[in-house]
Amino acid sequence: MENNGTNILLIEDNPGDADLVRLRLVESQSDVKVNCVNRLADGIASLSKETPSLVLLDLNLPDSRGADTYRKILEHAPNVPIVVLSGQDDETLAIKAVHSGVQDYLLKGNLSSKHLERAMRYAVERQALVRALEIAQKKQLDFKNQFLSHVSHELRTPLTCIHQYVTLLLDGIAGAMAPEQADHLKTVLKSVNQLHAMIRDLLEATRVEGGKMRIEPRCVALGGLVQQTVAMLRPTADQKRVGLEIGLDQRLPLVHADPDRVLEVLINLVDNAIKFTPAEGSVVVKACMVEADPGFVYISVSDTGRGISPEAKNLIFDRLYQDADSVDNNRSGLGLGLFICREIVRLHDGRIWVSSELGQGSTFSFTLPVYSMAKLLAPVIIYQNRLRPSFVLVRVDLTPLINPPRGNWKETWQQCLEIVQRCVYLDKDLVLPPMETSGATETFYVVTSADMQHSGIMTMRIREQLDRVPDLKTKCSITITAVPVELPEEQAGAALEQQVESVAGCVTQMIVAGRERKQNLAAKSTQTSN
Amino acid sequence: MPKPKILLVDDDPDLVRALRLRLRANNYEVATASDGYAAIAQAQKERPALIILDLGLPVGDGFVVLDRLQNIDALSGVPVIVLSARDPQANEERALRSGAAAFFQKPADNDELMNVIRVSLGPGTEQQTAAWPS
Repeated sequence: MENNGTNILLIEDNPGDADLVRLRLVESQSDVKVNCVNRLADGIASLSKETPSLVLLDLNLPDSRGADTYRKILEHAPNVPIVVLSGQDDETLAIKAVHSGVQDYLLKGNLSSKHLERAMRYAVERQALVRALEIAQKKQLDFKNQFLSHVSHELRTPLTCIHQYVTLLLDGIAGAMAPEQADHLKTVLKSVNQLHAMIRDLLEATRVEGGKMRIEPRCVALGGLVQQTVAMLRPTADQKRVGLEIGLDQRLPLVHADPDRVLEVLINLVDNAIKFTPAEGSVVVKACMVEADPGFVYISVSDTGRGISPEAKNLIFDRLYQDADSVDNNRSGLGLGLFICREIVRLHDGRIWVSSELGQGSTFSFTLPVYSMAKLLAPVIIYQNRLRPSFVLVRVDLTPLINPPRGNWKETWQQCLEIVQRCVYLDKDLVLPPMETSGATETFYVVTSADMQHSGIMTMRIREQLDRVPDLKTKCSITITAVPVELPEEQAGAALEQQVESVAGCVTQMIVAGRERKQNLAAKSTQTSN
Repeated sequence: MPKPKILLVDDDPDLVRALRLRLRANNYEVATASDGYAAIAQAQKERPALIILDLGLPVGDGFVVLDRLQNIDALSGVPVIVLSARDPQANEERALRSGAAAFFQKPADNDELMNVIRVSLGPGTEQQTAAWPS
């Protein structure tokens, strides 16, 4: 704005209309500056250079029509008031525009200078009000989040002290205790742990609201996470005499998800299910593919509890929601668990919902995106419309020499992953995102379009480059293995798309089988060491 | 074999007392400090094998202490385990970058903490766990 004068951006492609509007503007205000452009793109370009007091916008332009026109302007300049000038007397369109954030919708036909001037003035005022409200709201939200994060930090200090003294006594460090005393103290510890979980949820919910929750997606085999969850909650279920079962599809694809976060969702849902299921009831965790929606894996947790009323169903994922009936029998949360679950699933582009009938139990379901091996592999394994002749799966394992690793292990393995990425041919090889880890070992896979001999050259290159990283050898041991991908014979004559699917399927199976083998070995070694 | 010495830095005297008991029960010798300045002074005097460090400290917070330790030749190799009530999302990476060996949020799991202390002290300093009455 210059000298407090009004600076208007007029986006109008009809020269006659443009002149008319300009005339009306000059009639009503002496110190008005009008910048007229006739295409949306020029309007957006002008907005990025300077901010006008107001945009007068024709909806039908050579490069954009209808509602799209104001949407794009709103996207580029959300804080500039927009008044639509339309030749179309359409009240529905007008209301829709106002709902989307446009300040007014005027008809070109009956435009007087007085009318236009007044509409513009009000539009500017209204926009300023909206803006002030938004700023105030943001301030309030920031304050609340800061407050909660501060409180949760301050609560931790005394909680830590209680926790330390209780465990000190329970561990017998301050002398032996009578069994009954130890029993009472265990009840204290249980409550301390509950309080701890609540504080954690509080901080997590604050993060969600501030848009600060982050996920780190990896290639994840869901089966392992489901098993981990069930193993963890088995004692709770046994204690309540609630059955806990798993039903997994035989061939689940890998998903692209943050394993820690998914585990959080699973634990939350299964723990809830056990909590609301009476003795002799059962909880089942399933994961499967649904034909109509091949891009996602469906995970569900069903219980034989008392179900959820239709009203509650709509509110259950909201923050601080607690079922009134649940309060007396087991109030051990803040009502933030499902709210956090929903946010985690949303961050993965998945959906979460509940189906239930009173007295019939409930099923909580959520979806996670499949790690689409075929889609990602296609560009590197196809050459001149044919499948390349051979593929090798290269596996790089980084095992820290001391476990848990010291210092910034994440920085170390990320640096290694970058090196591996630099060692491959972008048009022939694909480095998969890091696998979910069990323990501290980081595993990277490369699908390379080569035979064993050529893949050997690549593994040598990776080895050489990793060896050049200073101090890496003092931090971890590196193993690199290469295994040929064996394709089924009958696939040779199939359509290209199917061939790609087949390679992707083989690779997935090899990875999953390798992980299971490793887990079994780990399980065996802990068994024998016991 | 002499017991490894741990310097415990925290401004909450009650917590220091409890942790000192636990560390002693695990066969460590314990020195303490309750602010950033004292932490450096004690580290130079006591030459601990490991430091457990709170972040929110008076007279120079934990990050200042980490920074100072890195710049004192005799102390830059001493592993530091950060034990803080602060949010790991905002502080863990910064602490590790500043030279900490590990980050624990309070309240920490005792077994995990003791395990990391043992590992950080390196091979050869393996301690026998104290036999306490059960």
